[in-house]
Amino acid sequence: MIAVELGKLLRSRRTWVTIGLVDALPTLVAVLLAVTDLGPRPGTGPAFLSAVLHDGTLFPLAAMAMVLPLFLPVAVAMAAGEAIAGEAQTGTLRYLLVRPVGRTRLLAAKLVSVMAFVLLTVLVVAATALLTGTLLLGHENTGRTISVSGTTLTTGELAVRTGLALLYAMLSMLGVAAIGLFLSTVVRTPLAAALGTLAVLVASTLLLPLDAAHALRPYLLTRYWLAFVDLFRDPILWTNVVHGVLQQCGYVVAFLAAAWANFATKDVTD
Amino acid sequence: MTRSRRWWLAAVAVALVTAAPLVARAVPVQAPDRDAASLVAQVRAAAHHPYSGQVEMNGNLDLPVTSRFTDIGTLLGERTTLRAWWRGPDAWRVDKLLVTGETDLLHSGGLTTEWSYEANRAVRSVDPDVRLPRTADLLPPALAARVLDGADDRTATRIGARRVAGISAPGVRIRPADPRSSVDHVDLWEDPASGVVLRVDAYASGDTAPSFSTAFTTFSAAIPDEARTRFVLPAGAKVSFDDVLDIADAANQYAPFDPPDRLAGLVRAATPSGAVGVYGSGLTRLLVIPLRHRDAQTLDDQLRRSAGVVESDVGLQLQAGPLGVLVADRGDFSWLVAGPLTPDTLVTAARDLQAGATLR
Repeated sequence: MIAVELGKLLRSRRTWVTIGLVDALPTLVAVLLAVTDLGPRPGTGPAFLSAVLHDGTLFPLAAMAMVLPLFLPVAVAMAAGEAIAGEAQTGTLRYLLVRPVGRTRLLAAKLVSVMAFVLLTVLVVAATALLTGTLLLGHENTGRTISVSGTTLTTGELAVRTGLALLYAMLSMLGVAAIGLFLSTVVRTPLAAALGTLAVLVASTLLLPLDAAHALRPYLLTRYWLAFVDLFRDPILWTNVVHGVLQQCGYVVAFLAAAWANFATKDVTD
Repeated sequence: MTRSRRWWLAAVAVALVTAAPLVARAVPVQAPDRDAASLVAQVRAAAHHPYSGQVEMNGNLDLPVTSRFTDIGTLLGERTTLRAWWRGPDAWRVDKLLVTGETDLLHSGGLTTEWSYEANRAVRSVDPDVRLPRTADLLPPALAARVLDGADDRTATRIGARRVAGISAPGVRIRPADPRSSVDHVDLWEDPASGVVLRVDAYASGDTAPSFSTAFTTFSAAIPDEARTRFVLPAGAKVSFDDVLDIADAANQYAPFDPPDRLAGLVRAATPSGAVGVYGSGLTRLLVIPLRHRDAQTLDDQLRRSAGVVESDVGLQLQAGPLGVLVADRGDFSWLVAGPLTPDTLVTAARDLQAGATLR
């Protein structure tokens, strides 16, 4: 069933259009930076954006910092919202469930499919950013990159840390995927599921800087998303990265359980 | 399995996931039963004890900020995360962690280096006689040392222990005996093994919540590796040397004034001996800085935009929590008078200053 879902994902034109749109923003930024040579003032732009002017190999990380707060979660919310509600809307859910496959497995296959979409998007964005970064941006990297803490990283260390950062960015989308999947089992249209997921995302973003909501911070969906920057400190600051992974696992357990509870015995008429 | 049973199972899963972070905090705190005086004595004895860890600072002091006054306004008015490695007063490192990078302070071999990742720049300087507060001054052990400077240990009282950075830390309350202080009390919690202060909460008079709080979220009392406090300039980074660190250092070196020996009854400290004066100690410390007209005007504009600013014949005055700021106008130049003192004390100090300061 997972293979079927992955095949559908790869054949879908919408998948590639969405990835293209997500990818367009960092590519546009790379072109603008290359043309103007103007970086953001300290503390104002996305992480690593000022550094790419002298070291283009860091642009995949800057690209992640650009798409992670909004573009990527919006794309994931749409993909996850589509998972069950999309089948229901097009009237194919009934036929899907006629197959001798449990609904729990169908949910798991849908989650895997959404995460495969995330993997694909992150890889395309990172690869494009590496290409544009090395071609258009800073060329001062002579096999050594400056870490955020001012120490130097070898090319090997940079590659490992970049790989970890991309993996972390993917894991950060698990919560969005799980919420979207749950809402997709509740509502009848994918748009409603995607909007519901985005509402959670916006609420988290608004609550995060509020001192009054300090007690809620460890539970807020977006709390640890940008912690991948901590992988480029020296020594690596693991605290928020570990908390981020555990939090996303918590979201998966909670919302997948809710999706399962709602969907496993739901009357499907669409 | 019935639908209701599935939902029960889902609810249990949600409850377990939500409760997991709370369980560790719910374990009762057990700290050694010792009196306040012995705890304070242990803190004083641990003044140079090494440590490392991550620190979370949270302030709600709405101070007027200008670039000439460094980042003191944001440090005291926002939430800041730091990482510190402290081998001793001559070798330490404090990193200010930002979502977009880091601004680090490293001190070694008599030099202080400020590294800014986003600017790709290192600025080196020698610590002057006087400067404005910076991140390293607001680490719990450093702030506690200032609070205890000149404090009467007999006024310390025990407060409940709390868990700080996973350590059951006994607490002590310091209440200033001097009525000129605007600080109601400061609470300290220390590591019972090393005596290093793990958390400091400062309260203004009449407040129930701390105006400023600084606490370790992770902590080790082991001596950090020497390499942590050594800065090696990365290839391609810009480097410069600052002769003048900030506005206090500049005024102390170049302003042609001598502040009087006593202000509002507070005695001037031996250093700095230039145009900037530091008076009193601990929770009644007063700082006076002569300002050029241009700098005073900028600060004046900032103060006028702040809520709660008071204008009198002495100048503009603002009380932000326990911290008072007064800009006393003298025409061509002004005096910045600041400290954790009552508004009346600041006015008295400003009048004494206007009457007693002399031209060199």
